[in-house]
Amino acid sequence: MEYSNLKRQATSMKQNLFDQGYLDEQFYQLEELQDDVSPNFVEEVVSLFFKDSSRLMANIEQALENNPRDFNKLDSYMQQFKGSSSSIGASKLKSECIQFHEKCGEENIEGCTRSFQKVKREHGILKKKLEAYFQLMRQVGPGDRATCSSN
Amino acid sequence: MHAVVPFMMDIIGTEATGSSPPPSATTDGSNTCSSAAAPQFPAGLRVLVVDDDPLCLKIVEKMLRHCQYDVTTCSRAAVALSLLRERKGAFDLVLSDVYMPDMDGFKLLELIGLEMDLPVIMMSADDSKDVVLKGVTHGAVDYMTKPVRMEGVKNIWQHVARKKMSEVGSEQTASVEENDGQKKVSEDGDNASSGNVKRKKDEEDENEGREDSSTIKKQRVVWSVDLHQKFVSAVNQLGLERAVPKKILEIMKVPGITRENVASHLQKYRLYLKRLSGQQNQGRLDTPFQGTSDAAYGSIGAVSGFVLPKKNHMNLHVGTRQVTSTGIGMPVDHMGYFDSNQQISNAARMIPGQQWTGHGQMNLITGTSVNTESQQSQVLQTYGNMSQQSCNSAASLMNPSSSVCASMSFSRGSISSINGQSRNSIVMQMPQQGQHFPISRQQNHLSIDVPRQAQVSSQLLNRVAGEHDPRLLSNMSQQVLCNDIGRSFLNREVRLTETLSTTSYGLVPQVLYSGLQNNYTNDTVGNSYPLVSSMGTPNLTSTIMFQECVPSTGLLDPMKPDLGGVKDFTQTQSDHLFDDHRIKNEDWNFPNISHSYELAQHPNFRQNNTNFSSSISAPSDRIAAMKDGNTCSFNKEFYKIRSQQGKAERLTCRNNNVPFDNSAGLPSDGIADLICQGGLFSDNFLQGDYINEIDLLEPKELAGELEPDFDLVIQLATIEEKKCLTEESAGSNNGFMCVVCSCFFFIVFGDG
Repeated sequence: MEYSNLKRQATSMKQNLFDQGYLDEQFYQLEELQDDVSPNFVEEVVSLFFKDSSRLMANIEQALENNPRDFNKLDSYMQQFKGSSSSIGASKLKSECIQFHEKCGEENIEGCTRSFQKVKREHGILKKKLEAYFQLMRQVGPGDRATCSSN
Repeated sequence: MHAVVPFMMDIIGTEATGSSPPPSATTDGSNTCSSAAAPQFPAGLRVLVVDDDPLCLKIVEKMLRHCQYDVTTCSRAAVALSLLRERKGAFDLVLSDVYMPDMDGFKLLELIGLEMDLPVIMMSADDSKDVVLKGVTHGAVDYMTKPVRMEGVKNIWQHVARKKMSEVGSEQTASVEENDGQKKVSEDGDNASSGNVKRKKDEEDENEGREDSSTIKKQRVVWSVDLHQKFVSAVNQLGLERAVPKKILEIMKVPGITRENVASHLQKYRLYLKRLSGQQNQGRLDTPFQGTSDAAYGSIGAVSGFVLPKKNHMNLHVGTRQVTSTGIGMPVDHMGYFDSNQQISNAARMIPGQQWTGHGQMNLITGTSVNTESQQSQVLQTYGNMSQQSCNSAASLMNPSSSVCASMSFSRGSISSINGQSRNSIVMQMPQQGQHFPISRQQNHLSIDVPRQAQVSSQLLNRVAGEHDPRLLSNMSQQVLCNDIGRSFLNREVRLTETLSTTSYGLVPQVLYSGLQNNYTNDTVGNSYPLVSSMGTPNLTSTIMFQECVPSTGLLDPMKPDLGGVKDFTQTQSDHLFDDHRIKNEDWNFPNISHSYELAQHPNFRQNNTNFSSSISAPSDRIAAMKDGNTCSFNKEFYKIRSQQGKAERLTCRNNNVPFDNSAGLPSDGIADLICQGGLFSDNFLQGDYINEIDLLEPKELAGELEPDFDLVIQLATIEEKKCLTEESAGSNNGFMCVVCSCFFFIVFGDG
């Protein structure tokens, strides 16, 4: 009971994430990659993402404060950020990245800064949500991960 | 040999090749590749993934494993290149990111295409049309937009299959049809255009086409040395700008090749020249056309063919452009041309336009027959030009004289510079500058891109060696390269001081040798020393020695294909630098050696003073080493020979291009530089200005350093040799005589 409840919870949490646009199809791809060899693949990938992205964001922040602003550099950071975000299926985050990229293109420092704030915010939200999700998943247990994942 | 061929066979045969990872996909319900298509073929596909983003790397790796592919990952392009060079034929396909901090993905793409002729798929989150198009024009077989999906990964094997088909198939493969069909199934919509573009490029006469041969489905023709030579002379006749396949075909008058064949070959050639002339030495040395890794060897063989100049005069005339960037100068480039092997074709396929800084070598050698006299001077001159960057049109450089030069510098990419590309440090640079060769990177002169170049050159060498003479082992080809180069140099008075610099490859020395010997004055032509030097040039010393030794001692049996002759010779010297190498050479370099012998035989040759006796054998060793992996992973020790002169000739030539700056006619400096620069050793090595001593480099060390740039590592034989080297150098212009073996080494200094 407890178990199936948990399972259900996890499933619906995940569904929510999708519905709200936090995650997209790519996340399914990751789940499909999970197997016996790497039963926690998705979680690993996601934590790796958050680790990397934090570093990237710090770089971006730094670059935003630098004077003169190097838009190319900013853009390349963002490019990478976007790539990572899309790789895990973080669609909202990806959209914010695209926005940032546009602002960089315009060399609009104000716009960049604002956009970056949004990126940071989305990043934080997603992180929290995914952490909760994985926590639940851990409770559900490895055995069920697959089934849960293959929703 | 070609990894490709066997692989293909597998496909045809049914056996899965390679080591396919144990299927793990079955465990989950994921849609794995294993269930798709013929399980044998795709399974075990050896893929190399390069991406600086660890997240993406992890995901793609997992996906690939799910398809039962054999995956290797790396996060740095330089590492990837060295991996590829070291283990030729160990991979079937490369997946590379576009935006990477240490190297532009497109550059990597080009290099891989040129050197190893592997299909490369680009990946990026950037899906803008121009970027995708860039991928296409640079020769990517596909472009995947991130996030990468399983569907995208599943079908990548098609590119390998396609390539194999075109390679294995004889000419007139119906590859075009396949191409069409297969192209359409590319995963990304963006790819669809690539097929069209590719086809279009097939028809292109201009040197705009940048696709490497793998993407162009033309009938595969083996560009033998002769054929290539004809091609080159036809192009020269017409003038590069006006050279169109149709006319070339007419001039060549060779039955059995089509306009398409010529067109693709021309494309490669142009790219190659272009690379030589202007590219920055990105380090990527376009390694000598390695074509496929295996192929490279084949081509090398072809090159060897060159080397062996049956006649004294080898016309390096490679086609003028040949300035193979790869320092190897050798025919390596030609290698592709020369050998009928596919490899050669591969090499040939290298798009001339591409920057072959590394390839430089190719051009040089193409001439196979290097006119010693004329060429040499030309070569030298070209070098001089090269260094100047003015090298415009490699063609001029390449002309025999240049070709020679080209070979010399090979170190990796530098050779191409013969054209004057500044980058290509091709040997030419050396003389001029007086300063050490910048192993290219730096200076405009031909800077041999050391890092990459080395690779290239090594590759070239490898290829060259392989190809050309049957005698020559593929390894030898490298040597050959050197030889050629060396020869040309020899003629020239280039005193290529044997930049002993690290000769990463024995080959280089050869080349250097030739130049250095100058006294030989061109006899080098005959000698096809495997100028390993291209690699890094330091080899020069070795090569030169090699050659020199031969004549002097008389022990060598010049014509003897195998080193045997040399070996003996050197052996006796036993303190020869290359003593160890020699012995080791047996295995592989024999062919090369023989070449060198031939050169040695050459009367001119003999004259020279090369005392390089020991070096001779060494080269082969080196070469062997080279082939192993381009990287100088020779078993032998590598010595870094530093130029005494202070100029920092970088002995250790990194593979890069030994820029031959030889305005003076292959000044030894330049040459040595070039060779050394060949990028044998990473820049680190050559840092010092004149290094008066030869540092024994541990193979590992070398490998690490050399890679990717250096192609040639001159391996100085043992410590004795080393000692020996250090000793004499004082006197002679930039050279010194090894007390042990009485080999004369020239130290090539940057300043000619």
